[in-house]
Amino acid sequence: MPQLKTFRSIWMALALAMAILALPVFAQDPQATPPAEEAPPADASAPTDAVTGEPPADTRALDETVQDLKKDVVDLNKELFVLEEELLFPANTQVAVFVSMDIGEFFALDSLTLKIDNKEVANYMYTPREAEALLKGGVHRVYLGNLKVGEHQLVAFFAGKGPNDRDYKRGANLKFEKGVGAKYLELKITDRQRKAQPEFAIKDWE
Amino acid sequence: MLKLSRIAVTVGALLALSPALFSPAMAAKPEVDKLSPTVVRDLHFGDALFYYYQGQDFEAITRLQAYRQWGRMPHHDAETDLLLGGLYLSLGLHNEAGERFETLLTQSVPEGVRNRAWFYLGKIWYARGYLDRSERAIKEVQGRLTPDLEAERLHLLSNILMRQQRFDEAIALLNNWKGRRDQSDWLAYAQYNLGVALVRKGLVTEADPFLTSVGTLESGRRELRSLRDRANLALGYAYLQNNQPALAKPPLERVRLDGPFSNKALLGVGWADAAEGEFQQALTPWMELRDRNLLDSAVQEAYLAIPYAFAKLNANAQAAENYELAIRSFDTETVNLDASIAEIDDGTMLDKLLQRDANDRVGWFWQLKEVPDAAQSRYLYHLLAGHDFQEGLKNYRDLAFMGSTLSRWQDSIVAFDDMLDTRERAYAERVPQADAVLASGRLDKYGAERATAGGQLDQVEAAQDVAALGTVAERDQWARIVRLEAALLAAPNDDETNVIREKTRLAKGVLYWRLAESFKARVWNERRTLKDLDQALREAQNRWVRVQKARGSMPNNTGQFAERVEALRLRLEASQTRLAGVAKQQNSLLESLARNELEQQKERIGTYQIQARFALASIYDRAAIGGGSVTAPKEGATESQGDLEVVPPEGAPTDPPATEPAPGETPPEPPK
Repeated sequence: MPQLKTFRSIWMALALAMAILALPVFAQDPQATPPAEEAPPADASAPTDAVTGEPPADTRALDETVQDLKKDVVDLNKELFVLEEELLFPANTQVAVFVSMDIGEFFALDSLTLKIDNKEVANYMYTPREAEALLKGGVHRVYLGNLKVGEHQLVAFFAGKGPNDRDYKRGANLKFEKGVGAKYLELKITDRQRKAQPEFAIKDWE
Repeated sequence: MLKLSRIAVTVGALLALSPALFSPAMAAKPEVDKLSPTVVRDLHFGDALFYYYQGQDFEAITRLQAYRQWGRMPHHDAETDLLLGGLYLSLGLHNEAGERFETLLTQSVPEGVRNRAWFYLGKIWYARGYLDRSERAIKEVQGRLTPDLEAERLHLLSNILMRQQRFDEAIALLNNWKGRRDQSDWLAYAQYNLGVALVRKGLVTEADPFLTSVGTLESGRRELRSLRDRANLALGYAYLQNNQPALAKPPLERVRLDGPFSNKALLGVGWADAAEGEFQQALTPWMELRDRNLLDSAVQEAYLAIPYAFAKLNANAQAAENYELAIRSFDTETVNLDASIAEIDDGTMLDKLLQRDANDRVGWFWQLKEVPDAAQSRYLYHLLAGHDFQEGLKNYRDLAFMGSTLSRWQDSIVAFDDMLDTRERAYAERVPQADAVLASGRLDKYGAERATAGGQLDQVEAAQDVAALGTVAERDQWARIVRLEAALLAAPNDDETNVIREKTRLAKGVLYWRLAESFKARVWNERRTLKDLDQALREAQNRWVRVQKARGSMPNNTGQFAERVEALRLRLEASQTRLAGVAKQQNSLLESLARNELEQQKERIGTYQIQARFALASIYDRAAIGGGSVTAPKEGATESQGDLEVVPPEGAPTDPPATEPAPGETPPEPPK
């Protein structure tokens, strides 16, 4: 019965198609969604073993190896970061300058210039992504250096867009005493609601 | 206290778990589920956030770890752990992240926060294919989440159950779910999944209302239109499988002609017609399919279905012609596939894939957005969109990124070495000078001199020795007067000498008056000078101590750094070797996936080709035996002659039409 055979093969194909087709749909956050969420669980080449609910052994073994390696590299990277900072900027001479922003309603930061003891030590242009990170609450360590014990002066020049989207430049300065320990200074850009103007200040973190 | 955006601890947890979840608005809006709001109180925590918010997870994790080691974030311990957990997830370190969350998410964390953390953890495990772990995490959620998350949780759980073939449980779960009115998207997904679960249980009639409901919904949104097509396709094929071709056609005909599922739908409609003996009618959708991309298995099947239908219509000439066309097309595709397999074998496929992606950030959430225009890409669209492949590609990319990071460190390590050498040389040069200064005891000497000077001043002040603090000229004048007085003592007592005596007395009085007048001020000045001297001596003393300390610790300090640099250099080299090895393994795995995919396509085409050749031979055999020729079909002919049947060779499997979404098909967006 050749005709029956043909149709049987067709139905077999359809049955297999059903196995592939009838997949659960899972709506996910696009960022967290692997692109092939529709990967067939019942298909032989599917990533998971339907019985154990885990990926195939060879993939899993490699995945574990990759995870171990990544963890080692992450730790190693941290060790190198620590070494570099301790070597180049010892705690007793270290000076770090941070930038923070408040709401950012009256000022959009474009660039920043820093002078310590009348010498330019940093000149930083902010990308939109970085400016956004500041607005979200990030604090940027814009300068890391060394200073001797004693009195010093920090001058900061801010450039960007002020109220009504006009070019806006302002400065702030601070005399500070560098002791034996590390010194942290914060350049704060805040909104002064009453005056509808931004405010620039330098805070000395003891 | 630093006033920045208010970052609730829970937001830390949530942003740690999913970057998309965090927004300033969300942070500013207090929620019951959140831990008490906190502000960034340590600059360094803010610095790590600065990188986190830019998606630079590798940098953020490094800084968090380093700052924690230095104790620079004493006020953000809990947030740091939560953020680290999320960053580990982002880097694909699921085991590490899982362990952290399991340790962290204790009863001390508010239930709402804990629930969300478990939920996202479950979601990640699911995406990684660890269904058991995912289910465990999901079941750790106590009580109810927000309506949208609750809906998503239910769908996640139903997917887990379905992927484990636990359809009864999935059906029960979905049947019991009552979504809100504004959750129509979730309702559609639930109905679709419920319909699919019922079909998988063989309950097609019961599945019909659910799939029809989804299959007839009106929506302008791409995701829902896609879901609608899928529901119709699923229902149509379910009926075909159930030998109910008449019922299969309406849902199949509802599938959009320009959508990603249209090929399968057209093939199905043709089969439904064929099953009802309507071969002429079946030709319409199949002929439409033939003009489409031959890479699609539905199109490939149509190449065989068309001549099959012609044969059934007794149009042997067209049948033969179409079989020949199919054979030629399959031949071309086989050659192309062989060329693509050869390209994969040259080992550069992954690098070509990643070449276009200039974004060098790592992360588990990364996806390949653009497929390169390589020869094999068109055959691999389906594979490239596949979960396994994307996972592997992410790993390969992360490893490449880490390799480049370590390479940069390798340059730095050389610089560190140079720096330490320079320090040691400078140290060697300065040590003798420092030792000489330290050995000279000069500071003690200065101290003693200061003490003597102080004592002298005390004496001068006590004795009111005004001349002692006079200027050089005054002291000289005073000395001359004293000498003159001494000489006058021995001089005769005559008028001339008495005049001199009187003048001397007068001069001495004037000088004394002048000295006495400025004596107090001069004492004050001297005291002030001594005070300054004391300060200078104290400063010198401090420096002396520092020099002594530095002198003592320098050899250790430099030596310790040298040891650390050396140890890290060895670790660097070992890690790079391992990175290269694992990247190679990952590459091999992905290439083998790609190769398998192409081989399967080739095998399927090969099978079709054999069927086509066999059928063609059969047509010619019958024509030869019958002594006639192959003729065109009669108009409206519907009866099979029964003598030109296409019979697949024994044992040659007929591959299923690929029913996966078309390449580039984006997974359904979640309802917002």
